[in-house]
Amino acid sequence: MSGQGQVSFRNIVKMHGEFAALKGVNFEIKPGEFFALLGPSGSGKSTTLRILAGLDAPTAGRVLIDDKDVTSTDARDRDIAMVFQSYALYPHMTVAENIAFPLEMARLPKAEIASAVHEAARKVKIDHLLDRKPGQLSGGQQQRCALARAIVRKARLFLLDEPLSNLDAKLRLETRAELKKLQRSLGVTAVYVTHDQEEAMTLADRMAVFMSGEIQQIGTPAEVFARPNSIDIAGFIGNPPMNLVPARYVDGDVIIAGHRLKTTTTTAGERDVVVGFRPGALRMTEGGLGARVDLIEDLGDTAVLDLDCAGIMIRMRVSDGNIPGEGETISITTRPQDIHLFDPTTRMRL
Amino acid sequence: MTAKRLRAIALLAFSMVFLLAWAFPIIWSVLNSLKTDSDVLAYPPKLVFSPTLEAYRDVLFGSGSILPNLLSSAIISVGTTIVTMLMAVPAAYALARLRFRGKKFAGFYVLATQMLPPVGIIIPYFLVLRNIGWIDTYQGIILIYLSFSLPFAIWLLVSYFEDIPFEMEEAAYLDGASRLKTLWLIIIPQVRGGIAVTVVFVFLNAWNEFLFAVVLSGNTVRPVTVAMFNFVSVEQTLWAKLAAVSVLAMLPVVVLGVVAQKHIVKGLTVGAVKGGGRR
Repeated sequence: MSGQGQVSFRNIVKMHGEFAALKGVNFEIKPGEFFALLGPSGSGKSTTLRILAGLDAPTAGRVLIDDKDVTSTDARDRDIAMVFQSYALYPHMTVAENIAFPLEMARLPKAEIASAVHEAARKVKIDHLLDRKPGQLSGGQQQRCALARAIVRKARLFLLDEPLSNLDAKLRLETRAELKKLQRSLGVTAVYVTHDQEEAMTLADRMAVFMSGEIQQIGTPAEVFARPNSIDIAGFIGNPPMNLVPARYVDGDVIIAGHRLKTTTTTAGERDVVVGFRPGALRMTEGGLGARVDLIEDLGDTAVLDLDCAGIMIRMRVSDGNIPGEGETISITTRPQDIHLFDPTTRMRL
Repeated sequence: MTAKRLRAIALLAFSMVFLLAWAFPIIWSVLNSLKTDSDVLAYPPKLVFSPTLEAYRDVLFGSGSILPNLLSSAIISVGTTIVTMLMAVPAAYALARLRFRGKKFAGFYVLATQMLPPVGIIIPYFLVLRNIGWIDTYQGIILIYLSFSLPFAIWLLVSYFEDIPFEMEEAAYLDGASRLKTLWLIIIPQVRGGIAVTVVFVFLNAWNEFLFAVVLSGNTVRPVTVAMFNFVSVEQTLWAKLAAVSVLAMLPVVVLGVVAQKHIVKGLTVGAVKGGGRR
């Protein structure tokens, strides 16, 4: 086990001609942490991972691993293992040869390689497939083979680039849980790129949310969920995402469709705001905001209602047994602490 | 049902005619090589004759044996193929992968050299070889063959290299392999179909080349194509011997083709299916 796997990105800029893929990215990853890079496609998260791996060079800025500047260090000298989205298995080699490849490059003794390969294959439950070629494996087995190749070396950093995106839904959920257990048991630092906020929420100890080449927020999944920094993050995290409604702020209250809602803010004054509240934070109540039920999406234990509040579309999550009928008019409200206020021009949290 | 059957029969007949037209020169050569000279010239052609191996005996073990010429051809073709592949594989990899100034131009230049009609450059080639004293030498003829086999091989190989996903190479780098090791251990095993196809074509071109060989060599270095030409003279053409040499000269290429067939078929269908070139 070499190194600790502490990562530090300092003002990383990546230009593709005139286009800035990364506009000054800063973050720190602690040793042993499961860190997710989350964002929509084209937001710069994969570029960040590639720069960390040494596959791309930043235009400006420095990358530090375990306090050592590795900005100009070759990928192969960084002691980093990576699982690619396509798995990138070597098709002409057997599973065992694939897993053994990094160890052979490190010139380990044959006996040591053999036992390490078996150990890694056992951990991801493919030790019965060692003689197969990747072409003879299912998608899930290929993915495990790629994982085994990455963990066999006991590298100080473990990078994963959307490793679950090629699996079917059921397998994705299973593998997600196993991945987390695997990372915990190995105690290795993992950096995980995904566009799926649910994956990031469930896997990560902390996450960085990317939007158009910048990190907009870093924090634990709970923090980011509870206090999104910007309108973009609020609309990205959570399923269904947060309701974001233009409103008027007047002395601590917000006015939506003529209805006043209390907030936790107490500053006097008046201004335009964007009000955010999660679908699950809405309650049915007497004398609240009137809304007509347009559509019901029944999810089994819960249902998501599409509500029309005087022309404003609002989504609400209700638990079973409490579902109004389509076309019915209901009255809703939410608690002051569940209301998020954003500036409509800067799009940042107020 | 009957219409379908009729169509099948028509198709079969058509194919047979087509196939016969193609196979005719080869069949005719084989037949002629088994005839005596008088049988060859018989008119109308004799379809029934007593086959003899006389022509083969003459061309192999007679006074003008072509065995040394077959050896010459082998040295030239194998030499050309080896040198071509040693240079073409890294060059094609570079054109397919690396980003460098003038890459587009280099790619086009490689192709453009194929557009020159050979007969137009034969005199300059002759002068160059004469000036460096390489006329009628193996290294001279191999050098000249390289000038057209190399661009062809590079151009053919580039497409195979381009089919290999970038990620596979990046995975190898992260696994600790150098660029050369990655090329050798990861990339080349996956383009071996393409390499087999290229080897066959380069060998075939060198083996069958006549024009350059007859002008730029002929005494010390005399490949079988040039030797065959001696059977054709103003007074007469020794058809049976010519046919026998043709059949003999065809054999190595046929053997190579059969050996490489598995790879060739795979190589030719690369890219038809995503990932079809892997394995």
